[in-house]
Amino acid sequence: MDSEADDDIPELISAEPDEQSSSDKNPIAKRVPLTIICGFLGAGKSTLLRRILTERHGYRIAVIMNEFGDTADIEAKSITVDGESTTLELANGCLCCSIKDSGAAAIESLMRKQGAFDHILLEATGLADPGPIAGMFWHNEEYIDARSIGSENGIVLDGVVCVVDAVFGLKQMEEDHADKEEGPGESLRQIAGSDVIILNKVDLVQSSILSATELAIKHVNPVAPVYRTVRAELNLGHILGIQAYSIGQRHLSALKDQHELQHDHDHDHDHNHDHEQGNNLSSSVVPHYVTRGISSLQVSLPPLSATQFAAFDAWIRTILWENRLLDSVDCLASTPDSQSKKSPLQGNINVLRCKGLLILTSGEQHVLQGVRNMYEIIPVDESMKSEFPHAGKVVLIGKGLGEDVRHSLLSAVG
Amino acid sequence: TSAILCQSQSCLNDNPPSRMECPTCNKLGIRGSFFCGQDCFKAGWKTHKLIHELAKNPSSSTNVGKSSDSYNPFPNFSFAGTIRPLYPLSPRRTVPDHIPRPDYATTGTPFSELRETGPPRILNSEEIEKMRTACRLSREVLDIAASHVRPGITTDELDEIVHNATIERNAYPSTMNYRGYPKSVCTSINEVICHGIPDQRILQEGDIVNIALSFLSQGYHGDVNATYPVGKIDEDSQRLIRTTRESLDAAIKICKPGALIRDLGKTIEPIARANGCAVVRTYTGHGIHELFHCSPNIPHYAKNKAVGTMKTGMIFTIEPMLNLGTNWSEIHWPDNWTATTVDGKRSAQFEETLLITETGVEILTAGR
Repeated sequence: MDSEADDDIPELISAEPDEQSSSDKNPIAKRVPLTIICGFLGAGKSTLLRRILTERHGYRIAVIMNEFGDTADIEAKSITVDGESTTLELANGCLCCSIKDSGAAAIESLMRKQGAFDHILLEATGLADPGPIAGMFWHNEEYIDARSIGSENGIVLDGVVCVVDAVFGLKQMEEDHADKEEGPGESLRQIAGSDVIILNKVDLVQSSILSATELAIKHVNPVAPVYRTVRAELNLGHILGIQAYSIGQRHLSALKDQHELQHDHDHDHDHNHDHEQGNNLSSSVVPHYVTRGISSLQVSLPPLSATQFAAFDAWIRTILWENRLLDSVDCLASTPDSQSKKSPLQGNINVLRCKGLLILTSGEQHVLQGVRNMYEIIPVDESMKSEFPHAGKVVLIGKGLGEDVRHSLLSAVG
Repeated sequence: TSAILCQSQSCLNDNPPSRMECPTCNKLGIRGSFFCGQDCFKAGWKTHKLIHELAKNPSSSTNVGKSSDSYNPFPNFSFAGTIRPLYPLSPRRTVPDHIPRPDYATTGTPFSELRETGPPRILNSEEIEKMRTACRLSREVLDIAASHVRPGITTDELDEIVHNATIERNAYPSTMNYRGYPKSVCTSINEVICHGIPDQRILQEGDIVNIALSFLSQGYHGDVNATYPVGKIDEDSQRLIRTTRESLDAAIKICKPGALIRDLGKTIEPIARANGCAVVRTYTGHGIHELFHCSPNIPHYAKNKAVGTMKTGMIFTIEPMLNLGTNWSEIHWPDNWTATTVDGKRSAQFEETLLITETGVEILTAGR
C-alpha cells in the first residue's frame, strides 16, 4: 500500500501566480530539432561533431551514434548529453499497430524524464542511405501538435548534413556510380538525401579536383549548398537550424538559381569560384557515369491553374508512390499481374528526394517536400511568400530521371 | 481571480488568503490546496492526506473484481483516469491442436510480417472469398460477445466467450500471443483507448466497453471492433460513440479505386472536431490478409503523408479511435499494452475490414 506516512509530510511549495486555467499545468511543448549527420568514412564527421559540441557549449545537445542502420534497433544505443551517456530504452508500451517509430519514441521518452534538449544530433556512421531515417523522423512529426494539451516535446527533422572527403570523395563517387545490382552506392545516396553538404579537407587538395568534386556533387544534388571547409570549420548556422523539411525562407532560397546560390555561400576559406561551371551544369561535359547512377532533374513550371495543380499532384504521387510515370492509361483496376506493368521506355525510376515551389495563377504559392515515397504540398503563408520567383520549380533527385520524365511532367500539367 | 483561503480546517490564523500549495496535490492535479504555512499544513495533515488517497485510489466501487483476492498490479502507477487493472489474469487459454496456427503462436514474433516489403497486396478472387469468410465469422463472434455485455460480467468472461466461439468455428484468435499478447480479445473500458487486457474487473452500469477481436480462418485474418454501452450511459458517452461510428461510416463512403488513403483522415477528423472529440494518431488502420498487420498504413487524422491509392482487390481496416475533448495523446500502462487517454476522458473505437471492389467498397465485416 502506498499511503503516505504521517511523519512524511512534504514541504509546501509556492503556488504559481497564473491560475487562469487548470490545463495550463503543462508547459508549452518544445519542438526539438534533429539533425542527421552522414558522410564518407574518414571525411570528418567526428571532427564536425566535436566542433558543434564545443561551439554550442551551454546548449543541451544530445548525440546519438547510430552504428547499426535504422532506428528500430535503437534500444541498446547510447545517447550522450553534456558528456554523460544514457542508454535509450524502447518506449514503454507495445507499439503494435502504432507506426510511431520506436527510435523517435525512445528519444521522446527520455526527454520526458530529462527535459527537452536544444538539439539532437544523430551521427549515422555506416548508414548507407539517410533517406529512410529522415523519412521516419519527418513522418513522426505528425504526432506533434502544439495545440494539443499534454503533448510532449516533439522532435522536428531539421535536416541532413553530409560530410564529403575532398581527398577521396570523387573517386568514391565514381565507384559508387557503377551499375550494381542493388543500385547506386552509398556515397551517392548520402549526397542525394542531404540538405547541406560539407566538402572537407579542402586544404589537402588541388583546386581543380575540388571543382570536379563539387560538380559531381551538384549533378546528384543541385539544391543542397556545398560548403568547402578545413577541419570541418564553418558557420554552424549553415548546418543547424536550417529547417530543411519545413517551408521556411531557407527552403525557398534553396530553389534559387545555382548562380545565386554560389554567391550566398559564406566560405571560411579563400578560393576561386568557377562561375562557368556553376552556371552551365547542363552544357558542360556530363560525366558518363551520371546516367547510370543518381542524378537530378530540375523542371521549371509556369503558374498553374487549379486543374493543373491537381494534375501535378497526380503526377508526383504516381512517380513517388509507384515509381512510374503517369500515362494516359492509368491502372486503377489492377489485376494481380499488372502491378509491374511499366512502359518499356522507363528505366528503373526511383526518386530519393524532391523539393519544389509551385506558383498558382491565383497568386497562391505552394511548397513541395518529399523524401522517398513520402511527400507533402503545403501552401506558403502570405508573410513568407517569396517575392522573386515568377516561375515554379521542381527538383527531383534519384535514379532513372531522364528527359522522358521531364516531358511526362510538362505534358501532365500542360 | 479570487484569493484562495487556507484550506486547513484547524487553521490558527483565521484562514487567510494563502499562496503555499501542497506539492502532492499539485502533482496529482488537484487544484486549490493552499495553506497559510507549513505548521498549519502539518497540523491538518491527517485529514488532508485523505484527499491524496482518494485521487490515487478511486472509490472502491469503480473497480470491483470478481474474486475477493483481485488486486491492482501497478499500485504506484499514475493512472490517468479511474479504471484500474484487476489481476490475476486467468491462465492462458488453449487452442486445440487441429486448428492451424500463425507463425507467432509459439514465439510471439510475427516473422512473416517483419519480412514483408513492397506495395499493398492485391488479392485474387479465391483469396477474397477466404477473407469474406474470416471477416463474416469475426463479426459473428463479436455479436455473440456483445450480447453478453451487461453490468456484472467481467472482461475475462467476455474473453472466454470470444475464445470458445472462435475455436468452435475452427479458427485461431489472432491476438493470442501476437507479440506476446496474452488473450483472445481486447476489452477497452472508458478512458482506455485500445488493447485493454481482459481481467477480473466487473463491468459497471455507465461504462462503455470496446470489444476488439481478430479471427484467423483458412490462413486469413478478419479484424473488427465496436464500442458498446453497459446499461445506461451519460450523454457525453453517447455522443462519443455516435461520433466515432459516424466518422468511420463517412470514411468508408469515400473508398473506391483511385481514392487516396490520405483522404480518409481528412474525412474522419472534421467530424470528430465538430463533435468535441480528438482523433488518436499513433494507432492506425492497416492492410490485412494472410498477415495480421501489413501495408497500407491508414492514419485517421487529417494532415498526413500516407502513401497509396486504393486499388481493386486491396483489403485494409479503418479503425478510428476518438477521445472526448481535445487531447489525442495516450499513455501506456506498465503492462506494455493498455493505452489510455492522458486526461482520463473517455475514448471509443469502431472498426471494419474493407475490400475495394471495381465499383467501390465492400464491408467484409458488415453485420447483418
